[in-house]
Amino acid sequence: MKFIVSIKMVPDVYAPFQIKDGELLMDGDRTVLNAYDASAVEEALVLTEKHGGDVEVVCIGSAKASETIRKALAMGAAKGYHIQTNGDETYDSSSYAQILASFLSDKEYDILSFGKQSQDTDSGLTGGMVAQLLNLPYATNAVGLEIEDNKLVVKRQGDSGQEMIELPTPCLVTCSNDMNEPRIPNLKGIMASKRKPVESLSVSDLGVDATALEAVSKVTSYEPVPARAAGKKFEGEPEEIAREVAQLLDTEANVL
Amino acid sequence: MSTLLTYVAISDGKIKRSSLEVLSHCKSIADAGGMACEAVIIDENATSYTDDVQKYGASKIYTVEGDAFKQHQNGSLLKALTKVNEVAQPSLIAFASTEGTKDVLGALAAQLKAGVVADVSSFNFDGTKVTAQRPMMAAKIMGNVNVTGNPVLVSVRSGSYDLKENPATAEVVSVDVTVESGDLRATLREIISATGDTIDLNEAEAIVAAGRGVKDEEAKALISELASVLNAGIGASRALTESGVYDPSLQIGQTGKVVSPQLYIAVGISGAIQHTAGMANSKVIVAINKDADAPIFEIADYGIVGDLYKILPTFIEEIKKIKN
Ligand SMILES: Cc1cc2nc3c(=O)[nH]c(=O)nc-3n(C[C@H](O)[C@H](O)[C@H](O)COP(=O)(O)OP(=O)(O)OC[C@H]3O[C@@H](n4cnc5c(N)ncnc54)[C@H](O)[C@@H]3O)c2cc1C
Ligand SMILES: Cc1cc2nc3c(=O)[nH]c(=O)nc-3n(C[C@H](O)[C@H](O)[C@H](O)COP(=O)(O)OP(=O)(O)OC[C@H]3O[C@@H](n4cnc5c(N)ncnc54)[C@H](O)[C@@H]3O)c2cc1C
Repeated sequence: MKFIVSIKMVPDVYAPFQIKDGELLMDGDRTVLNAYDASAVEEALVLTEKHGGDVEVVCIGSAKASETIRKALAMGAAKGYHIQTNGDETYDSSSYAQILASFLSDKEYDILSFGKQSQDTDSGLTGGMVAQLLNLPYATNAVGLEIEDNKLVVKRQGDSGQEMIELPTPCLVTCSNDMNEPRIPNLKGIMASKRKPVESLSVSDLGVDATALEAVSKVTSYEPVPARAAGKKFEGEPEEIAREVAQLLDTEANVL
Repeated sequence: MSTLLTYVAISDGKIKRSSLEVLSHCKSIADAGGMACEAVIIDENATSYTDDVQKYGASKIYTVEGDAFKQHQNGSLLKALTKVNEVAQPSLIAFASTEGTKDVLGALAAQLKAGVVADVSSFNFDGTKVTAQRPMMAAKIMGNVNVTGNPVLVSVRSGSYDLKENPATAEVVSVDVTVESGDLRATLREIISATGDTIDLNEAEAIVAAGRGVKDEEAKALISELASVLNAGIGASRALTESGVYDPSLQIGQTGKVVSPQLYIAVGISGAIQHTAGMANSKVIVAINKDADAPIFEIADYGIVGDLYKILPTFIEEIKKIKN
């Protein structure tokens, strides 16, 4: 099975940030491989180790995204594609989906794997968009993957239970981080990643119509989320404080 | 006249309350802006829900019925929504942000060449443009987003709006959608349901959530007892869904569900931002944790510092007394 995993570089959510006049100021140096995409890479590696095949990754992003690609290569992916942007384009999910669909249109693959959402925006749109643009059967929010007779069997987390879905290849799947614990690259993997091929492309190489990439969804400003007012903390004799809080839930908070 | 169309989701034979919250909000926008408020129900028994849906002010309800809509499958849902969009020609389609919605939103946007914004906590519509607020960066930041398109698709987090009845007599329009085998290249083999008659966490008035501190059967039994005394739903942190202690559908947080009950009791949960992203909008938060410095205390209205094995038995007894 040949996997192509679509990976995104995201700002580290633990990095300090500031919001000034509606603008978000973050340390642009602190970026990570989107956690959901790391799970997608991990699962593709596990499945190809078991059934044969190989794993390639594609990332749209600025020059710095090459670190994100190296991370996936160090985990064990065989090849990377870096679709370079300046990093200041105002793309939305649909723009990224169109670039990816156009890149993938002449590639060979059995399974396209995405993160179920991006850790910074939680949009969760790109995978489904690419599936539709490439007319592929797909499943989202996968918490488990198996390969059976050249088919991909997806365990998907639905609203009230898990759905077992069988997809013929080629197909597309979006992965939850509940699927696995991504491996941490070891030294050997890191050394090997430096010799692995990374093909660099530009958006114009792909012949995507620039006007079609114009974002229709635009972030106009940012605001801090108002902090909850600090509450009361109870320390002391367990039985006493347990009773006290139960009473307050009744008489003060009115929630019993 | 512009039309706002709300997709009313049915799950396990019940209308998802979160879709009625969205419908209630769409009705207010429609009334304020002189627009039409309509709804669509896609389910094997869609027509049986129209009476309940018209209470929330939809003037027209599209129904799509048939065996193909017995269970959630993205292929059939996409086909039905595409057809209804053609018939209804809405300017905006609003959804509750359920897993079913998340499964089709991106594909539908690509199919309809629509503008889309997912998982908003509030939005407005002026007939052509949606302005919305959505949490980002594990809900540390709120982003203001503008979206245009024809139509614009918007999905809304549960609990963002109150239910508001607004009885109307709706015209019911049945739309024929036949799903052929070629439409469904994916095969749904089976659904493994969460055990028992669990309370829908998005609709629960109270939630008792267990974290890694809940280590054994004894602690699990205390959680169940507290939940039953409060008639609460049981939720869990990722630490416990990952290790299989609780069903994955009970996970609350960035990967799991976003909830906003009246009362949220976090037991043995540290309060990682990816967890609080899913529960920080609860009305009253109680935290029970033996580590006085656990971050969960920063957002708890009532923080109990102590060992859950010692706190919970008395806490449960006391609540029982109050309830009687
Ligand atoms: C704070 C912030 C908020 C934003 N909010 C919005 C918004 O509300 N709506 C909007 O349309 N745009 C928004 N944007 C613009 C944003 O840059 C793009 O929407 C985003 O990069 C595209 O991915 P997503 O976050 O929508 O990804 P999702 O749809 O959440 O990503 C799902 C998956 O798609 C794949 N993927 C996504 N991006 C790439 C990539 N660059 N390279 C390779 N694979 C990728 C990955 O597999 C990823 O796991 C926002 C940007 C920022 C910085
Ligand atoms: C992209 C991403 C998405 C994620 N999504 C989610 C999500 O949706 N939901 C989620 O929950 N997590 C999510 N996580 C994981 C999250 O970061 C934390 O790892 C997780 O929430 C920790 O769970 P916990 O609080 O139960 O465990 P821990 O952090 O281990 O905390 C256990 C707590 O229990 C307390 N404790 C132990 N014993 C007792 C006792 N006897 N009595 C009282 N207190 C006790 C300890 O003091 C400690 O504070 C995500 C992570 C990432 C990277």
